Amino acid sequence: MKRMLVVQLARFGDVVQTRRLMATLVRDAGPAGEVHLVVDHSLTGLARRLYPAVAVHGLPVHRTPGPDAVAEARALFAQLTGVAFEAVYCLNFSPLAMAVAAMFPPEIQRGYRMHAGQPDKDAVLRLVFRLARDRRGGGINLADIWAHLADRPVAAATVNPPAVPGDGGVGVALAGREARRSLPPDILAPVVRTLFRTTGGREVRLFGTAEQAPAARALLRWLDPAVARACRDLTGKTDLPGLIDALTGLSVLVTPDTGAMHLAAALGVPVMAFFLSSAWCHETGPYGAGHRIWQAVTACAPCLESAPCPHSVACLRPFDDPGLCRLVAGSTKVSPPPGLAGFVTDGDALGAVCRLVAGDDPTLARRTAVRGLVAQRLGIALGTDIGSALAVEPALTAESDWMLPPPGRPAAGEW
Amino acid sequence: MEAPRGLRILIVLPMYGGSLPVGWHCAAALARLGQVVEVFEAPAFSGAFTALRDLRVTSDRLEYLENSFLQTVSQAVAAKVETFGPDLVLAMAQAPLSRQVLKRFRRNGVATAMWFVEDYARFPYWLPFAPLYDLFAVIQKAPFVEKLAAIGQTNVLYLPLAADPAVHRPLALSPVDRRRYGAQVSFMGAGYPNRRRAFRELADVDLAIFGSDWEGDEVLAPRVRFDGRRMDTEETVKIFNATAVNINLHSSLSADEPVAPGDFVNPRTFELAMCGAFQLVDRRALLPELFTDDELAQFESLPELRERLDYFLAHPDERAAFAARARTRALADHTYVARMKTLLAFAAARLPGWPKAARDASGALAALPEALRGDVAALLTRLSLPADASFDDVIWAVRARQGTLSPLETSLLFLDEWRKQYGAA
Repeated sequence: MKRMLVVQLARFGDVVQTRRLMATLVRDAGPAGEVHLVVDHSLTGLARRLYPAVAVHGLPVHRTPGPDAVAEARALFAQLTGVAFEAVYCLNFSPLAMAVAAMFPPEIQRGYRMHAGQPDKDAVLRLVFRLARDRRGGGINLADIWAHLADRPVAAATVNPPAVPGDGGVGVALAGREARRSLPPDILAPVVRTLFRTTGGREVRLFGTAEQAPAARALLRWLDPAVARACRDLTGKTDLPGLIDALTGLSVLVTPDTGAMHLAAALGVPVMAFFLSSAWCHETGPYGAGHRIWQAVTACAPCLESAPCPHSVACLRPFDDPGLCRLVAGSTKVSPPPGLAGFVTDGDALGAVCRLVAGDDPTLARRTAVRGLVAQRLGIALGTDIGSALAVEPALTAESDWMLPPPGRPAAGEW
Repeated sequence: MEAPRGLRILIVLPMYGGSLPVGWHCAAALARLGQVVEVFEAPAFSGAFTALRDLRVTSDRLEYLENSFLQTVSQAVAAKVETFGPDLVLAMAQAPLSRQVLKRFRRNGVATAMWFVEDYARFPYWLPFAPLYDLFAVIQKAPFVEKLAAIGQTNVLYLPLAADPAVHRPLALSPVDRRRYGAQVSFMGAGYPNRRRAFRELADVDLAIFGSDWEGDEVLAPRVRFDGRRMDTEETVKIFNATAVNINLHSSLSADEPVAPGDFVNPRTFELAMCGAFQLVDRRALLPELFTDDELAQFESLPELRERLDYFLAHPDERAAFAARARTRALADHTYVARMKTLLAFAAARLPGWPKAARDASGALAALPEALRGDVAALLTRLSLPADASFDDVIWAVRARQGTLSPLETSLLFLDEWRKQYGAA
């Protein structure tokens, strides 16, 4: 009987983005096997809804632990060490997650790990993150990076249903954790109004935590009275499992890069996402076919959210273009302003891809090369001409990748 | 065009991987051909590398240190080249030779060759490195050769793998070894996904699995011998000799197709043949020109493997006949000596002015005082040097010897130093 453990101690969106790996492990375990998932305490309800075939465990990660929490964690650790896991997947480069994985023999650990007290990672992670150091040229979705820690991930197309609009109206996710990634209300309001009209003028549901209630009120002030009257402010009123119900059946969810966006994609709710600042759709775009993303492609994007912006948030300016609403409405007669590109999500043998539908895509060649190289390393045929790709980007191959033994020395390179 | 004897050849081994033993076999073969061989033992540096991995520092620092370490090892090869002055640097796949050092070799007129004993489709590292070598030997043909030409490498030699008859040989095993290493049916190799899938489907066969990377498979676990550790070459030869039917299934990362189509032929094919051991090998596009159908028993699907396995288990005489024919062919055509001859002849044909004029064309004996010649002739044999080795090569070989030197060897070193100080005697 196969038993596998996944340690995913990151946030809401990351738990949703683990779907391809979880689906793979559930398939591999079969009906007689067991798949366990450890998440932050606050996310257990959501995880159980998302992964009904999985044993979900909560750990106090995102809050200061008191004595009770320590005792609780210890009890869970004792429980987990009593299970004969065949593989343990540690998905976070975090000391907490690696500490959990360290309870298990090194030979069954996958992903991130502590080796002799030093953080280390699987060869595929080393390769992907080295290639993605130039984020503009990195083109692997995080969900796929995690999924490929398993040997044969399920097909990307089977993970989430394709985007199909319901008749529940427009949803608006007000902000992610990082404010600079979000459109301000004066830019967001015309977009919401446009989508409200193109989807039949039904309801508008505003989503967010209680902390985002002021943002909801600001948006309402910028909306036409007719649209504002159709709004239902749900900020602070839905827990995460409740958010699943509230998102279900929407015609479209308007959102920056948020956990709600990943959840909508998991439900097949069409996403209209706006990616700017540090958000890069080729890394964390909505998973599944048919979602639409407007991505800032200014020379400075994507940036580091934690660093102050020296360009007065130049990546926001293209969203302030009068043509944006026509683009959002689906017009093909208008071109995006410089610095903005439209993508639609799709998939290939490696995983998720964002395909250009409007504007220019200045990083396509490098992303294609990176995907081709990673696919080749994983033994996946993408049809990329690696020779041409590397002729353009010779720096994609590092001498250390080839000449130094990989951690754990997997079969690669042996006869 | 045949290459002369007495060439100085530096073999650069990789730190790990499948091409490491191939490098050792090349060194032995070149010595047998009368060349002066020096080996850069990259695995000797692995202790330092392991120490870095155990340093307990942040990952960015570790990465920096690993890259610096690699540059240091590469510089060590460069230093070796400057000291040894080889006519040819022969690098095995994954050899720690940085682009920077390869460019320096080219500037300085140091001839370089790589034997890329990897699947080009899986390992794209040939792309940045191939144009930097003067010669590039490969184990695949089209379209790889064309792809190399497209990036500027036209000195490409198809050089299939081989075996060493001094190592891969028929053995008279003791009953103990026969029990330890023997089985009716064996597989020796790493646990790639296609092999796992294939062998799970041979549940009712008395199959023994040797080699590493078989962890985490409950079905196969009882069949894995020696706790799944890596087997050294000598043990591998015992396994081949002690087994009635050796399965030789080429590796693939995909479990979807347990017997996947492929072109190159792995070293195990030649080694089993050279041992006079019977093997069932999956069909490969490049196999027919290396062995005929009556030299190697082949299969191209799991059902066919199953069927041929049953047949050959019941027909030991046919197994023996196949094995004998395969060994005859391997001895005739597939030794590392033959491969190295081909490689050197290719170098002589393709590299203008190679090899450069001999350092001392007169040979060591001619340069010596009469009283030393007889003893030195015997020393040349002990040092595995050809009778016409140069004085410089004899000195190099004497310096490389471990342990206490004989009075004769010391005399030669004395003579060398004397000549350096005062000119030729």
